[in-house]
Amino acid sequence: MELSFARTWLPYIYLYGVGGIIFLAGMFIIFKSKSINIMRPRHKKWFGVLIFGFLWYMFLHGFSILAALKI
Amino acid sequence: MEQVSSTFWIIIFGYFILILGFGSYFARYNKTTNDFFFSGRRFSWWLIAMSIVATGVGSHSFLKYSAKAYEHGFSSTMTYMNDWFFIPFFLFGWLPIVYYTKIKSIPDYFEKRFGPGVRKLATFAILGYMIGYIAIGFLTMGKTLQPILGWDIYTIVGVVAVIAGIYITFGGQTAVIFTDLAQGFILIFAGTLIFVLGINYVGGFSIFWSSLTPEFKLPLAHFNQPSNFNFTGIFWQDGVAGSVGFLFMNQGLIMRFMATKSVNEGRKAAVFNILFLLPISTVVVSNAGWVGKSISVLTPEKWDATVKLDHVFTQVASLITTSEVVFAFIIAAVAAALMSTVDTLVNAVAAVVVNDVYKPIVKDRDDKHYLKVAMIVSAGATALGAISVVFFNNFPTLYEAHGFFHSTMTPPLVVAIFLGIFWKRYTTEAAVATFIGGAFLMWLGNKYPEIMIAPFDHGIAMDPEHPYSYIRALYNTLVCLSVGVVVSLFTTPKTEAEMDGITVWSLDRAREKFKGSMPNDREGGKPITSWKIVDGQDELVRFSQKEMDFMAAEVGDLVYISDSRGWLGGLKSCHSVYGKAHDEEGMVYLSAKLADSAMFVEGKMVKSEKEM
Repeated sequence: MELSFARTWLPYIYLYGVGGIIFLAGMFIIFKSKSINIMRPRHKKWFGVLIFGFLWYMFLHGFSILAALKI
Repeated sequence: MEQVSSTFWIIIFGYFILILGFGSYFARYNKTTNDFFFSGRRFSWWLIAMSIVATGVGSHSFLKYSAKAYEHGFSSTMTYMNDWFFIPFFLFGWLPIVYYTKIKSIPDYFEKRFGPGVRKLATFAILGYMIGYIAIGFLTMGKTLQPILGWDIYTIVGVVAVIAGIYITFGGQTAVIFTDLAQGFILIFAGTLIFVLGINYVGGFSIFWSSLTPEFKLPLAHFNQPSNFNFTGIFWQDGVAGSVGFLFMNQGLIMRFMATKSVNEGRKAAVFNILFLLPISTVVVSNAGWVGKSISVLTPEKWDATVKLDHVFTQVASLITTSEVVFAFIIAAVAAALMSTVDTLVNAVAAVVVNDVYKPIVKDRDDKHYLKVAMIVSAGATALGAISVVFFNNFPTLYEAHGFFHSTMTPPLVVAIFLGIFWKRYTTEAAVATFIGGAFLMWLGNKYPEIMIAPFDHGIAMDPEHPYSYIRALYNTLVCLSVGVVVSLFTTPKTEAEMDGITVWSLDRAREKFKGSMPNDREGGKPITSWKIVDGQDELVRFSQKEMDFMAAEVGDLVYISDSRGWLGGLKSCHSVYGKAHDEEGMVYLSAKLADSAMFVEGKMVKSEKEM
């Protein structure tokens, strides 16, 4: 049986679309408030970690969906 | 009822005695209320990260995830895998504010930001939230043991509450951290063991994988179906209200982060936990349900299809474990999950009651008095949590009870904390309105869900028995947010000076206040040296000029000194301030009082680092 878009990729798009807006809003506020300052070496590393975390989960979910459908 | 022998009980009781002994041993580190609640802000990130596993896994227990995993497949992992979106707000907003403002509790922050009236509202709401959470923990334990014991669920809850109460009451935060550390390892091991044994039971991974349908293996649920488990509802209930609730208003978790030796260590603990330990934890707690489904497909004659969903975990554990010893170990691990959640929350309730209720009434007593009160409150909170189980036992599954609880309890607090930290324009009147007006609109939504919540339902059908258990979180959050924003726009905000150091917009000032002077951000090394007690030494610590230069430290900077044995995770350590340099290289001068509070061992080296 063919699985519907609402069952496969729509939740993924919604998760990283709406979640992505929340994440970007957070990044914007901490930059704007100078809470994170990438001129400091330690904060620069943290900036990388924040981006990595978002991509990491995007990858985990994307890969899991592909594995469920294709393997 | 499962048939178990005396071996089973010896292992279960042996486990509990071990944990009680472990907690009691670390209780000796409680000398003040600061130790009891915050462990003297001394621990390394890895120790806190691991202890958080037990707290998190406990609250999202084996039982409810196994039930949902059996029913809906791999999408049971959703709730553990959607916490990253709020991490920028937490790591560079709430965490440094909590740490640098030295607040004792979340209501304490409300007083600093808004005033004493809002503090009272927040105290009431937070206590309700935590007592409810404790009750859900006890209910989980009752449901785990009921198929084995055959006792009434309330009898089991009573017995467990007494055992949990003993070590939490006397142990305090240090005991909680160390028992959770041990239990974190046990939980991960036990969950992995179930998966390995389960895969072995069905005949290998490829048989397991092919026995499950593609739909079952999808990591995210259907967008809006069915009403009791759908992606959108769970995203708003757990990914938004739950994540913010857990990170921002779970006093127990906040206290855990406050026990780290610095903000940077707190960040590391949070990131490691969310990036790596949560994906592992979700497999650990869910896999019994997946294995159960596989068994029911491959060998239906062995699977009791009439079993209650919340008992799926126990059925799988008894099927796949051929040895009673292993079965007892797994049940003990589930007990560990419960204990770890409950102990954290009970300690947190004690912190809120002592700091936000008792101290404002009974002032100027010595610290021993407040420590005694903290212990009595811990015992009382355990009892109250056990009694509150009655309410949550009415839901069909633990998952739904937890979902309803989060959707209803968290939005006003979450919105008030969030706007308080990140929006300077948010006023005291708006905070009061968020609690009271928000609660009224939430009540309206609960009363007329088909009118109030339906416009936000994303196409989710309304279950008349438990209308919009999850998606109500979106409605509840939006109404609280709207009330807060609208009232803010019509009232006068506090001045910049009044909010100095308590919002994300003035964090540098918060750091400055924490230190008492301008922070020194030059990065330096961490020398390992000997130490000695010097008579007449005040609370300052003194290093040689060479070591001061190596650490890039100046007189008046803050310093953290710990036993150089890293595996202690900061258990033997202290915070102090740099005094004038001396000329004895490789030696730290300490006062007897400081060395005693740090519990340094004579002859053991210490490692020092400049803070901030």
